[in-house]
Amino acid sequence: MTMDAPALLEIRGLVAGYRDHEVLRGVSLTLAKGKLATLIGPNGHGKTTLLRCVSGLLRLTAGDIRFGGTSIVGRRVNNIVAQGIVHVPQGDLLFSAMSVADNLMMGAYLPAANAVASRRLEEVYGLLPALWERRLQTANTLSGGERRMLAIGRGLMSGGELLMFDEPSLGLAPLAIDQVYSVIANLKARGRTILLVEENANRIVDIADLVYLLDDGRIVWEGAPHALFDHQDLLETYLGS
Amino acid sequence: MNTFVQILVSGLTLGAMYAISTIGLSLAWGAVGVLNMAQGAFLVVGGYAAYAGAVFLGMSAPLALALAALAGAAVGAGTYFFVVRFMLESATFETNVIIATVGLALIFENVVLQTFGAYPLRQPIRIEGGVNIAATYIPYESIGILVMSIVAMIAVGWVLERTRMGRAIRAVSQNRAAALLMGVPVKVVYLQVLTIAGVLAALSGVMLSTITTLAPTMGYDPMLKAFIVCVVAGLGNIYGALYAAFALGIFEAAVQFFLGVRFGFPAMLLLIILTLVWRPYGVFGRGSTQRF
Repeated sequence: MTMDAPALLEIRGLVAGYRDHEVLRGVSLTLAKGKLATLIGPNGHGKTTLLRCVSGLLRLTAGDIRFGGTSIVGRRVNNIVAQGIVHVPQGDLLFSAMSVADNLMMGAYLPAANAVASRRLEEVYGLLPALWERRLQTANTLSGGERRMLAIGRGLMSGGELLMFDEPSLGLAPLAIDQVYSVIANLKARGRTILLVEENANRIVDIADLVYLLDDGRIVWEGAPHALFDHQDLLETYLGS
Repeated sequence: MNTFVQILVSGLTLGAMYAISTIGLSLAWGAVGVLNMAQGAFLVVGGYAAYAGAVFLGMSAPLALALAALAGAAVGAGTYFFVVRFMLESATFETNVIIATVGLALIFENVVLQTFGAYPLRQPIRIEGGVNIAATYIPYESIGILVMSIVAMIAVGWVLERTRMGRAIRAVSQNRAAALLMGVPVKVVYLQVLTIAGVLAALSGVMLSTITTLAPTMGYDPMLKAFIVCVVAGLGNIYGALYAAFALGIFEAAVQFFLGVRFGFPAMLLLIILTLVWRPYGVFGRGSTQRF
């Protein structure tokens, strides 16, 4: 037995894309249980595509994705969700004509989650009290920050072990971004394993255990977040800061 | 007063039937992008199933109605298993389904034609008699149709709003990608929606055949009316379709009464043109159409 935490998510040589356009050209990444890894890099270079591969929305051309030691390649989305992988998508993708409560209940759609839905609902309302106040409103009446919280809360309802957030700060006001990141920090403190896509390196320096810099479908740098700031060249080339 | 009550009763009866067959059509389009051209054939199957149950198997009216509902569920589910299922991966899914269900409608129609003949038949399960209210004769049949439609609508509303299955159907209709991410098996939702649409169409077929006659082509007119209701309400908007169905039923009854029966349908077509000019997305439409 080693003292290292076992890898919860392991991606090896992932190649994937859309039709004849290859987006990921051999990505490898390891995420240990309870850790928070951030995927940064310029827009349109495969960060979202990588999450879509893990959650089963997109088929891979080559490579392997292992979750808890077992390959999940080729499985259907519902099976992958049932395994414990949560994908909080970019742009929230809420059920806009449904109430906040119904949106959350959709997060607990699968039988195992549905059985403990009322207890989870309490937990989510405890973590995100704004949703409790708005529970009867339809999702399209919420503010941008509240919508993001609902998307996160809906993801938590499935009780997944691995949480994947795709640009949770996108399009939000600074104050709302702070709130989102304090929720994510809270989830990390509770022992959740998190894979976070973010464009803004400054946001993740305090929270991430590990940073992967993705450019043109490849991981071009990986390391601790503070080390990234020692590489001014990387920051300038890839993140324009 | 007399005239008013008569128009109202006849309009509500028509509206109730339109509403039931429109819900199925609207649900299938709104939730899963299936524009079911065999909807009219589902009506025919329901009407004849009730007939066969009553005449050949000696069933009582409620049993024959249950048989019709079962037959509707079977053709709805069958449409998924034998047709729609094979087109899911296609990039032109919606068009393929339209063409395939036109073919399916022809098959159903001709099977019924071969089995029962072209001669119009009288639907044996019906409620005879009527009652005089405010000097107006109201057939029990109209009351029966109205009550049955309302019960069916409440049942559908309950399933959609209160059950896990209904929530998943609404989720797929509002955001398919997100529903998939929640673990909803979208294919199962296709099956559920088409089965519900089949049951509703079959019930609508039985009701229709009690006030007209059974004929292999009886489904076309109500399907066309259901399309009109859908377009006026905004395709896929189920609650809008309910209001539109009753409004159009009353409108049609009024036109038939004041201008003559033959003007009923042209007046509806005129209304649909005006509606589309005024509001291209339908009266209750959300102002944008979603392409899958």
